[in-house]
Amino acid sequence: MSPDRRSRREILHDGAGLTGAAALLPAVAASASAADPQTSTPLGKARHCIFLWLGGGMAQIDTFDPKPKGDPKLKKPGCYYDTIPTAVPGVSVSEHLERTARVMDRVTAVRTVFHGTVDEHATAVHYVHTGRAISETIRYPSIGGIVAHERGSGSPTTPPYVVIGYPNASRDPGFLGAGSGYLYVTRTDAGPAGFVRHEDVTGDRQARREQLLAQLRRRATADPDVKQYDDVLAQSLRLAGPEFTRLFNLNEESSSVRQAYGGEFGQRCLLARRLVESGVSFVEVSHNLNFINGTGWDTHNEGQLNQHRLIRELDSALSALILDLEKRGSLDRTLIVIGTEFGRPAAFDAGGGRGHHAKCFSLVLAGGGLRHRGAWGETDVLAQKALTPGVSVPDFHATLLAALGIDPGKTLYDGARPVPITDGGRPIRELFPKL
Amino acid sequence: MGRWKRLPMHAAVVGLALLGVAARVGGATAASRSVAPAGGVTVELVEQGVPLEKQWPTHPGPAAESYEETAFGFFHEPWRYISTGVREDRPSPHLFRAKARVTLPAGSFRVLLRARGPARLTVDGQPVVDLPVPPERTDGHNPIRHDFLELGPETRYRAAGDHEAVADHQSTGAPREWVLETLVGGRAGKEPLRPELGETLVAVAAKGSDRFHLLSPARRVPLTDPGWEAYRAEREAHYRRVEAGRRAVARLASADYWAMRHTAARDWVKQHPAPLPPPAGPATHPIDRFLEAQLKPTVRNAASGASPSLATPFDREIRPLLKARCLNCHASTASGGLRLDSAAAARKGGASGRPAIAPGHPEASTLIARVAGTSAEHRMPPGPNPLTPAEIARLTEWIRRGATWTDDPVVAVRPSPLIDDPGFLRRVTLDLTGTVPTLTEARAFLADRRPDRRARLIDRLLDDPRWADPWVAYWQDLLAENPNLVNSTLNNTGPFRWWLYESFLDRKPLDLMVTELIRMEGSRFGGGPAGFGLAAMNDAPLVAKANILGTALLATEMKCARCHDAPYHASKQSDLFNLAAMLARAPVAVPITSSVPSAKLGGRTPRIKVTLQPGEKVPPHWSLESLARNEFPNRWLAQPDDTRDRLAALITAPWNERFAEVMVNRVWRRYMGRGLVEPLHDWENARPSHPTLLKWLAREFVGSGYDLRHLSRLILTSRAYQRQSRTNPEANRLFAAPPRRRLSAEQVVDSSFDAFGRKFDVEPLCIDLDGARPPINGLNFGKPRRAWEFVYSSNERDRPSLTLPRNEAVTELLLAFGWTGSRQDAQADRRVEPMAIQPALLANGTVSRWLTRLSDDSRLTALCLQNRPIELLVEDLFLGILTRKPTDEERRAVISVLKPGYATRVNAVAAAVPARKPQPYVAWSNHLDPEATDIRIREAAEARQGPPPTRRLTPAWRERMEDVLWTLLNLPERVYVP
Repeated sequence: MSPDRRSRREILHDGAGLTGAAALLPAVAASASAADPQTSTPLGKARHCIFLWLGGGMAQIDTFDPKPKGDPKLKKPGCYYDTIPTAVPGVSVSEHLERTARVMDRVTAVRTVFHGTVDEHATAVHYVHTGRAISETIRYPSIGGIVAHERGSGSPTTPPYVVIGYPNASRDPGFLGAGSGYLYVTRTDAGPAGFVRHEDVTGDRQARREQLLAQLRRRATADPDVKQYDDVLAQSLRLAGPEFTRLFNLNEESSSVRQAYGGEFGQRCLLARRLVESGVSFVEVSHNLNFINGTGWDTHNEGQLNQHRLIRELDSALSALILDLEKRGSLDRTLIVIGTEFGRPAAFDAGGGRGHHAKCFSLVLAGGGLRHRGAWGETDVLAQKALTPGVSVPDFHATLLAALGIDPGKTLYDGARPVPITDGGRPIRELFPKL
Repeated sequence: MGRWKRLPMHAAVVGLALLGVAARVGGATAASRSVAPAGGVTVELVEQGVPLEKQWPTHPGPAAESYEETAFGFFHEPWRYISTGVREDRPSPHLFRAKARVTLPAGSFRVLLRARGPARLTVDGQPVVDLPVPPERTDGHNPIRHDFLELGPETRYRAAGDHEAVADHQSTGAPREWVLETLVGGRAGKEPLRPELGETLVAVAAKGSDRFHLLSPARRVPLTDPGWEAYRAEREAHYRRVEAGRRAVARLASADYWAMRHTAARDWVKQHPAPLPPPAGPATHPIDRFLEAQLKPTVRNAASGASPSLATPFDREIRPLLKARCLNCHASTASGGLRLDSAAAARKGGASGRPAIAPGHPEASTLIARVAGTSAEHRMPPGPNPLTPAEIARLTEWIRRGATWTDDPVVAVRPSPLIDDPGFLRRVTLDLTGTVPTLTEARAFLADRRPDRRARLIDRLLDDPRWADPWVAYWQDLLAENPNLVNSTLNNTGPFRWWLYESFLDRKPLDLMVTELIRMEGSRFGGGPAGFGLAAMNDAPLVAKANILGTALLATEMKCARCHDAPYHASKQSDLFNLAAMLARAPVAVPITSSVPSAKLGGRTPRIKVTLQPGEKVPPHWSLESLARNEFPNRWLAQPDDTRDRLAALITAPWNERFAEVMVNRVWRRYMGRGLVEPLHDWENARPSHPTLLKWLAREFVGSGYDLRHLSRLILTSRAYQRQSRTNPEANRLFAAPPRRRLSAEQVVDSSFDAFGRKFDVEPLCIDLDGARPPINGLNFGKPRRAWEFVYSSNERDRPSLTLPRNEAVTELLLAFGWTGSRQDAQADRRVEPMAIQPALLANGTVSRWLTRLSDDSRLTALCLQNRPIELLVEDLFLGILTRKPTDEERRAVISVLKPGYATRVNAVAAAVPARKPQPYVAWSNHLDPEATDIRIREAAEARQGPPPTRRLTPAWRERMEDVLWTLLNLPERVYVP
């Protein structure tokens, strides 16, 4: 197997491979970008990405792209809340993003994102994660899988990609293979699946188990294939030890920090910060707590009534994450992204909630060493139509990759088939420091 | 919620009122006309005259179907089969009627009616109790139901999604005619709902007693959890027999046709005999004679004392390099006019007219100039990964030394000795059943001293119904079977797994199975091959299917042709769309996505060409004449215009040898670990390592009537299959030793659960438990029995209330070992590289807890309770889990853990009786109730806890034993085929 085909995970348990192959990557990227004027965007210096996923479809008009108020009772389209100014003159957000408003100079709400995907969650979730329509000839990797593949992990004892949420096909690494896949955690108090011992397995019992296992697995090492599995068995026993699992112990944080981040979603963001600081390249954090308003971000009908609680939870977690990373000096190295499958229209449905709208909606970038401007792009009075050139999902992915120092013009390979890393996406150059 | 609690009290009254009307106008009077047979319960399914809204028919039609039952307990209508035996949906809704003459003793009774849909019960035409179904929302905002009737300490609670009511009944002691009617299925808009019964039942209890029994003329089935479960298991076995019979009857209708086809196949084989195996040396099995002929020169070398010659440098270094980096474009597709797949072609060179390889003269060889080039525009291979300096040096040196090119590498390889009996037993059982031998099977085989015991074992396993399981998993990947629990999206298909399963269970000839596949008839969402025809959200589903059929059946890769002519393949866009049109039975329009904007073709001379324009209509046509000729007798087609039948016939015609050879190669690879042709799915630039053997096997397969079992028996009885495994490329290529194979994900899961004595204790694989949504928005996969039945709980909405925690515990393990949970495309090969998450889940995952927990319902607990010396327990553990005896060292190590407390390990207490409690259920219809999330989180925690430990063993010793089980579960040898 040539070095470029080795999965990150393989490299992870092979110290020599790690330095060798990792060293190759930026060189390849640099040479490719030099050759292609289309991608002469300066590559950013961020090393990690925290991708906050607002499953269901965040209403741009009620959050990052507020407009004059409407009224569900009168069937008058418009914002559900009041609008407040932010740290960036001329940029305003909804009243429930009060704390984020104060740090909006570290944030850019990209307000003219669009895609043509049909009005269905799974398909749109897939599109925003992969930047591609579904295909029967290839399995496209998620943006997390791509970053894992390109960046690997910053440390031999941490995985490149972690999901705090549920596994699904759109988060999968596709043709890049399981080596670019994720570990996942469904709750911050649960630890990563597979690496947390059952509570009643005491230290003594674990010692007894491992001692007996050591005696019985001697047979395995005689066979070269079984030996490979035996090696990852040894690795997994190490990972289940305290050095890795303590990353998931939020009790190590001071209570003031924990309180600043807020509820379960905030705690997930705090966990994400701990993970990227330990070397994880990409953490997807799902904001999937549908008991807060009943529907999560999919605010049809009654879901609208308590949407503000969801927005406030996002507000405190996001602003705390930005300020905490900044205080620790790692905001420029950590790109924060808010992803969601589509936006929502300004008009209200029969139950006072909102339907789906993918033709123009907001995705958000923060930190990561970008030149932030509070907002990018202008929309009409209903926040439903772009008045400035739209940003496609591939463009958004290209921006994300470029910020992480990954050449967005690069080609990946599914076997012999060349696959551009994005589907013709071009980064938003204005967000990068001038050459 | 209050209205639910009140409902039962009023049910009898409401029932009287409603049925009083209904009885005059239709159903009940019609039903009571025919007399129920003595001793049995007659079920009638009425399809005509049933309104689409949930309303009782005023003029129900005649029974479309009728069958016998034994009691008023119903959860399944046996499938209906059409054509050659594929499942077909019944209309939804339809009327289900059950009637029987039952004699209850004189006295007062309580009568319980449960059903999924509206239901009514009459005695001699007089209403007893009924169940109206109130209108419900299906958008997720229903409340969690807590309206369980308390009917006694042991009575089973109502099942998820069902409704219930009780009424009083006075019996005179005389026989009475009982009639139950219920509406099954319904409509959501225009879409039919899944026709499901839930647990539709009638049960009675004498007044003053709280012991309910299913109403029955002839048997007593207690309505307790164990009583119902035993009844259900018995009836499921009965339905399996009934359905197998129905399929057999359906197939009989075309028996003459298929006999004619198979006679034609046999005749063709007679007229075109296969190459004979080389004369017998020491081997007698034809396969071994073919294989050992290619090992012969080596054997001679070794005998004459000459040092065994290794492969030439060309075989070791150059051929693999050319194959990996050049032949994609420079073989059959001859990019730039150049081929590098033979010495002559390489010397001739390409369009430049100069030799690519000039033996002895690297400086005159364009190959070297191109690979060493510095200009990205000119350099080969194109792309960001040029050859390394070492590779270029190797090529240069090889050319300088004369570019020796050997066509058939001769290698010195000694065949491995035969594997021992325990290893053989484990290997062949895994291959044929997908799981490991049971303790009983292992004891029996290892005690068998007959010289033909291996052949007998193979025959026994070929007859085992478990034979179907590994083949289903295999074809799920091959055909991209991709049904979803919730909304059909992302290339989702129907759950045609059930058709696959029944096909292999029935030992269907493979040409018939492929014909059914291509006809795509029957149920789309109930498990018929029509489900293969779906690809949700795909703008050209039949193009996707044509592509899948090409790789699966003909080993021709056309995926590039979806958008452009293939640079690495001869196939054109039109080939694929022609084929898709044959499946469509009509011209197919090229979708807008099936193109590549010219800007994307890149700076160099484009290697791809777009030859079809979006919108263009492509007619049905067979253009792949080189793979199969469109020739067969007219009588092979019932309808000459049916292009699907034509396609099926030409692919499976015996003289079109490609199909049989591709199938033989697939079977060979499954058992031998390596194909006679690699890669399996794309033969364009591949050649068989043993061409005569491939041909011989294909003739055997065709001559046997496309019988997979005959083919399997041939391969498994060979010495080549039965040799000790060792990973060595040369030995593996020549089948002198099979490579070491890792268990598939399904095998890891099934063999772990079997060896550790547990069944899957998981939720029904269904989000729409109350059947409120049409199949396109929710399927019901039931409770899985084998690993292939699981579905990926793809939770795009990230809602905790839409999880199935127990399902996820198993699928996370399956995924870690390479299971393709979401099969958006066909899988040529799964990845088997070891990753830390695999042992991690076996060590700490939820399933690990289930498997190592000694609970009352674990078979291993029973083993531990046997009164016998500790040595025998340890022997059984090794034999049952690893199919081998422990070594002395292993025995000592395990005994040293288990000895303390062994003598006093048994507590003289009875097994705990599982607590019976009502289970509020979460379904799509109520998942937005905040309580739904709480329930799921609690369920996830309970799943993680595992079953409660037995009290029949002392805790200290039980923990020791669980530690031993954990160790055995985590042994690396468990995840490899011996």
